[in-house]
Amino acid sequence: MENEWEWELRAEKKWFQYGLTELWQCRGLLQSFVRKELTAGYQQTIMGVFWLVIQPILTTLFYFLVFSKIVKVSTDGAPPLLFYMSGALLWGYFSDCLTSTMYSFLHNAHIFNKVYFPRLIIPLSMVITHTVRTGIQFILFLIIYVNYWIFNDAVHPSSYIWLVPLTLFFTALLGMGLGMIVAVFMAKYRDLEQLMNFMLRLFMFVTPVVYPASIVPEKYKVLFWCNPLTPVIETFRLGFLHGGTIDNFYIFTGITSSLLIFFIGLTLFKFREIKVMDTI
Amino acid sequence: MGKPILHIDQVSKKYQLGVMGSGALKKDLQAWWNQQILLKKEAHEPEVNDEHNKDYIWALRNLDFKIHEGDSFGIIGNNGSGKSTLLKIISRISVPTSGIIHGRGRIASLLEVGTGFHPELSGRENVLLNGQILGMKKKEVLNKFDEIVDFAGIERFIDTPVKRYSSGMYVRLAFAVAAHLQTDILIIDEVLAVGDVDFQRKCLKKMKSLTTETGKTVIFVSHNMQALRSLCKKAIWLEKGRLIAEGSADSVINKYLTREKVETLSQYYPNPEVAPGNEWIRIKQVAINPQFNTQISYIDTRTPFDFEFSFWFMGYHPENTQVLIGLYQLTGECIFELCSEEVKIEKGLVDGRCRIPGSFLNNGYYYISMQFLNGNQETMYEFAASVAFDIIDYRNAKRPFGKWDGAVRPDFPVELSQVSFDAP
Repeated sequence: MENEWEWELRAEKKWFQYGLTELWQCRGLLQSFVRKELTAGYQQTIMGVFWLVIQPILTTLFYFLVFSKIVKVSTDGAPPLLFYMSGALLWGYFSDCLTSTMYSFLHNAHIFNKVYFPRLIIPLSMVITHTVRTGIQFILFLIIYVNYWIFNDAVHPSSYIWLVPLTLFFTALLGMGLGMIVAVFMAKYRDLEQLMNFMLRLFMFVTPVVYPASIVPEKYKVLFWCNPLTPVIETFRLGFLHGGTIDNFYIFTGITSSLLIFFIGLTLFKFREIKVMDTI
Repeated sequence: MGKPILHIDQVSKKYQLGVMGSGALKKDLQAWWNQQILLKKEAHEPEVNDEHNKDYIWALRNLDFKIHEGDSFGIIGNNGSGKSTLLKIISRISVPTSGIIHGRGRIASLLEVGTGFHPELSGRENVLLNGQILGMKKKEVLNKFDEIVDFAGIERFIDTPVKRYSSGMYVRLAFAVAAHLQTDILIIDEVLAVGDVDFQRKCLKKMKSLTTETGKTVIFVSHNMQALRSLCKKAIWLEKGRLIAEGSADSVINKYLTREKVETLSQYYPNPEVAPGNEWIRIKQVAINPQFNTQISYIDTRTPFDFEFSFWFMGYHPENTQVLIGLYQLTGECIFELCSEEVKIEKGLVDGRCRIPGSFLNNGYYYISMQFLNGNQETMYEFAASVAFDIIDYRNAKRPFGKWDGAVRPDFPVELSQVSFDAP
C-alpha cells in the first residue's frame, strides 16, 4: 500500500533538488509569463509592443547626442558612442536581471500564497524578458557598429568577438544568481531593498561602465578585476572596439565566481522557495 | 470507496508570532548556527500542545487522516481552526513543520478565484495564463477554451481587458477556468460565494457533477453548511488545529452545529454570592430553550425558541422593576428591544421568559443583553451578552445560496395567481 504513493510533502528537503523535470513540464507557463511581462505594459498604447524597439532607439539617440557631441572622457580611443552603449547595454542587462529577480517573492506574494508552481519560473521569466529587451538593444548596437566599421573605418572587431555571446550569458547568470540570493533574504529582511538600491548605484562606479578599465591605478587593479562584471564588460569591448588582450586569469575568475554565485543562489532559492512565504 | 489518494500523516504546522525588529536577525543567526553548524536541537523545542507560548502558534497539531479516491471531502471549523493552513500545506504553498503528506495524482488548488489575473490583459490571455498557473497544460486550456467561455457567459467580451469587466463577469470567468481544471484532486476554499444567485447555482451544479460524474476527489472548505451538506459525503472538523470529528458529512456537520449550541446557550449560577450582578440584582440563570419539532438538534431559521432567565432581587425595599431585553447581531447592531411590564418585586427569586418565534430571524450569530431598570428608569444592572447563539440557515433546495439580506427573515407568504392567459 505505502509504495503506491506517487509523491510526498515533508518538512525536510534535500539540497540539490532543483526539480528540473518539473520546470521543463511548466515551460508553457514560463512562455505565458514572458509574454505577459513583455506585452502587459504596453496595453492601451498606440505604438503597442513597438515600444520595445522605440525605447532603445531613443536611448541610443540620447547617448549619441550626449557622448559623441558633448562629453569627452577617455574611451581608450574607441568611438564614445559605441563605448558608452556597450557599457550601458551590459550594465543595464545585469541590473535589470538582478532587480527583477530579487523581487521574485515580494512582488508575487499574492500568487505564491494561493497556488503552487515551480517558483523558479518567475526569475526565469524575468531574465528571459530582459534578454529579449537587451537583444533588441544589441541589434541596434550592431547596426551602429557596422556603420562605424564599414563607413568610418573607426573600429575593427578582434578575435575576442567570439566571446561576446558568453559575456551576455554570464551577465545574466550573475544578475539572476545575485538576485536569487537577495530574493530569499529580502522576503524576511526588507532592509535589503533599501540596501540593494544603494549598493547597485555604488557597484556601477566600481565597474567599468562609463570609463575604461585602463584608467584604474595599478595598486587597485587586482581588487578591481575581482568584480566579475569587469572581465565581462572588458571582453565585450575588446571584441568590438579595440585590440589588446585580457589576462586569461581574470576571465577564469570571472567565470568561476559567476557560476559559484549562480549555484549558491539557485540552491538557496530552491531550498527556501516555499518556506520563505511564511515570513513574508 | 476507492483507494486512499491522500494521506495526511501526523502533520503539524508552527507559525512564528511577533513583529520583525532589530533582534530578529540576531535570533535567526543564533538558531541557524545552533541547528546547522553545531547540530543542536533548540533548547526549548516548542511543544505541540503548548497553548500559551507567545513566540509560536500551532496552526495544526498532529493531524492524521486519509482521503479516498472519488471522495467529496469537507473541512469545517471556526475561523482560526487551521482549515486554511491545512489547504495551503496540501496544495504545496506551505510546508509542514513536521509530518508527511503522501499522495497520488495531480493536484490543483483554488484558494481564490482569478489568481494571477492581469487587469491589462484580455479575457482570452488571462484564461490561458490563469489556466496554466493553476496547473493545466497550454493544450488542455485551448481544448477547453470554448467550454470555459461558454460557462462564464462572456463571449462578447473575451477580447476586452479584464479591467473593464464588471466584478461579476470577472469572477465568472475566473471560476469558469477553475471549474474546467483537469486534475485528480481539486481543492476549493470558500469560493462558492461568488457571482449572482444564478451563477452560484451553476457553480454548485458544476461542483456536484465534478464529484459524482467524473469521480474527481474534491476537498471543500466553506462556512456555508448548507452547501457543504449538499456537496460532501465526508467531512472532518478542526478546532485549534486538532481533529475533533471525522466521518460522514452529515454527522460531522450536526456535531459541529450542536457543539456551538452547548457552549453558548446558557449560564447558570447556583450561588448568589458569586453570581454576576451587584447589590440589587444577581443573575441565577439565563438560557435559550429551543422548541424543536424536527429531528434536528440545532436552531435553524425555522426554530422558535424561548429566552428564559431568573435572577435574585437583592434590594432591601420592594421596587418597581422593568426588564429590557435586547437582541443584537454579532456586529453589535440591535435587531430589536423588548420591554417587560413594570412590576413591583420584593427580595427573592424572579423568573422570566420570552418566546421568539420561528421563521422570524435571519440566519446568523446573535447575542442577547439584559438591562434591569428601577422605577425611575435608572439602570440597576446590565447583563451584557448573556447568551449567544447561532441561527443556522434553512431553506429548501429551490432557494438560492448566499446570505439573505435583511436582519429578519419572516416567512410571510407571497401569493401569486394567474388572472389571464393572454400575453399582452
